[in-house]
Amino acid sequence: MSEIIEIKNISKEFKVLNRHEGLKGSFKDLFSRDYKIVHAVDNISMSISQGEIVGYLGPNGTGKSTTIKMMTGVLEPTSGEILVNGNVPYRDRAKNAQDIGVVFGQRSQLWWALPLVESFKLLKDIYQISDDSYNSIMKLYKSLVDIEPLLHKPVRQMSLGQRTLSDILAAFLHDPKIVFLDEPTIGLDVSMKSRIRALIHALNKEKNTTVILTTHDMGDVDALCRRIVIIDKGKMLYDNDIGHLKGFFGSYRTLKIRPSGDIKEQSEKLKNELDRFSAAVSVDNEWISVLINEEKAKVMEVLGEIQKLHDVRDMKLEEISTEDVIKKIYEEGVE
Amino acid sequence: MKIKRYFALTRAGILESFQYRLAMLVMIAGNLLYLTVVYFFWKAVYSSSGSDVVNGMTFSDTLIYLVLATALFNFMEMYTVWEIGRNIQSGKIVLDLLKPMRYRSYLFWSYSGTLATQFVFTFLPTFIIVCIATKGAVPLGTNLFYFVISVVMAVIINYAVDFMTGTICLYTESIWGINIMKQVIVLLLSGATIPVAFFPEGMKKAVGYMPFQSIYNTPLTILLNEKPDFTEVFKALGTQAFWCAALLILSSLFWKVSLRKITVNGG
Ligand SMILES: Nc1ncnc2c1ncn2[C@@H]1O[C@H](COP(=O)(O)OP(=O)(O)OP(=O)(O)O)[C@@H](O)[C@H]1O
Ligand SMILES: [Mg+2]
Repeated sequence: MSEIIEIKNISKEFKVLNRHEGLKGSFKDLFSRDYKIVHAVDNISMSISQGEIVGYLGPNGTGKSTTIKMMTGVLEPTSGEILVNGNVPYRDRAKNAQDIGVVFGQRSQLWWALPLVESFKLLKDIYQISDDSYNSIMKLYKSLVDIEPLLHKPVRQMSLGQRTLSDILAAFLHDPKIVFLDEPTIGLDVSMKSRIRALIHALNKEKNTTVILTTHDMGDVDALCRRIVIIDKGKMLYDNDIGHLKGFFGSYRTLKIRPSGDIKEQSEKLKNELDRFSAAVSVDNEWISVLINEEKAKVMEVLGEIQKLHDVRDMKLEEISTEDVIKKIYEEGVE
Repeated sequence: MKIKRYFALTRAGILESFQYRLAMLVMIAGNLLYLTVVYFFWKAVYSSSGSDVVNGMTFSDTLIYLVLATALFNFMEMYTVWEIGRNIQSGKIVLDLLKPMRYRSYLFWSYSGTLATQFVFTFLPTFIIVCIATKGAVPLGTNLFYFVISVVMAVIINYAVDFMTGTICLYTESIWGINIMKQVIVLLLSGATIPVAFFPEGMKKAVGYMPFQSIYNTPLTILLNEKPDFTEVFKALGTQAFWCAALLILSSLFWKVSLRKITVNGG
């Protein structure tokens, strides 16, 4: 397998003005030289092979979109090197653009007033897609999703889900080597999310397209990514197989219980009572979840303790989810 | 064929502008209102001067000039500054930068469809009406041919000025003020609101060294010139060609430097 993306020690700093409040402050800002440096991306390296789907994760504002903008060539790294398909993205932006596709969840590259098929035709000419490739990819699209009703609909009349779907199809249209998806499932309902995941999965399989996916939905990660990269505050935290991730903190399991009485109150009590097991207690409408590190405490012991103190009406045991692991990494970092 | 992508953008622009029929009607109505004001204003100027010819132009000369200048303005105004500014603020510019084309040509060709529609629906009808209404005051000879060449260059110069102004938005993030400033400067110094013939001597000279009059004054003068004098016409077209080249190079450099600077500083 060849490396399609090579990133070596890239950093990106933003110089931002320290703004002051109020009218007087704004006036002062006009002449201010009071800058602060934001290290949006801090010394990140990775290499990605053709055909991989990589989940690029991290809490809000940690530099994911900034990294993607550097890989696509919109931003120039402050330091470090990037090669995307042999191009230096910033220097050869237009050339690089021919090899990549992008979807930014909140915006659309489609022509708002025109029916979808017109946007596709336009992209066909802009990317100089041959008639044969265009027809064959349209055939593939038709076999994967029901686009017929969308094709003649102006984009501005589409729902968010339909538009996102269309945008993803548009990004794959010129058969790019790499597609960057920045939060493609943001704001979509469960069924649309799963349709979009299936679509991305199929396109990756069919075309061997490399996919870099950022998302805050671990469902996307579970459904699509074998490898995940996590960054926090611009720094690399984790880069490995998703399977490896689950064993990363030792063996975790989640004990879910439903006590009698007010569930919120009971969970507050439990938090204190289970302190010595160093178990994390969280609560939703139905269940209190207790995340247990089996190297530190036995599930049965914890359950016994809970039963002593509470009237447990129902319980179940779950293996740790990707969501839980990621949450733990975001909150505690990697030792 | 590379050229195909440009015409594809033109085509999309034409399709798009037909989606906004109401906007077109509003624009035509606004024009009529503006032209009424122009009519009464200049009527007052001429009657107060007490002479039929002011600065070598009769009342109907002036009126024809200004009506056509307005038509030309409506056809050439591309709102590029707004477009760039809005795209920067909304972040949509990222998607435009990721097209496998240069941003400046991408934007221009995206707008060329609107340009074509505006030519057919605003300039051409006005021109025909003026021709018929003035019964031959507008000469219809070789001047038309020169006029077309001149207008093409005027469009390019106008776009380059707009694009440079739009580039400033990368620094300021405010569109409104910059756009108004550009508008006022271009409309005044180009001869779109007052014929250059009316400018005081010193200003006429100063304007001669600027690119603005190449946008409106040059094409209109060529159009309204009954017996075009070759050397004069070629001098005018040559000046336009010079500004085309100079501004295209300048706007390209300015954009390159700015994009780099801005992406270093954020924004
Ligand atoms: N143009 C800019 N100018 C100044 N600071 C910026 C700019 N773009 C991003 N930043 C800062 O850089 C950091 C990283 O931003 P980025 O958009 O890459 O985060 P992210 O990981 O994509 O977050 P999210 O999950 O919320 O989308 C943030 O602190 C942000 O405020
Ligand atoms: Mg982001």
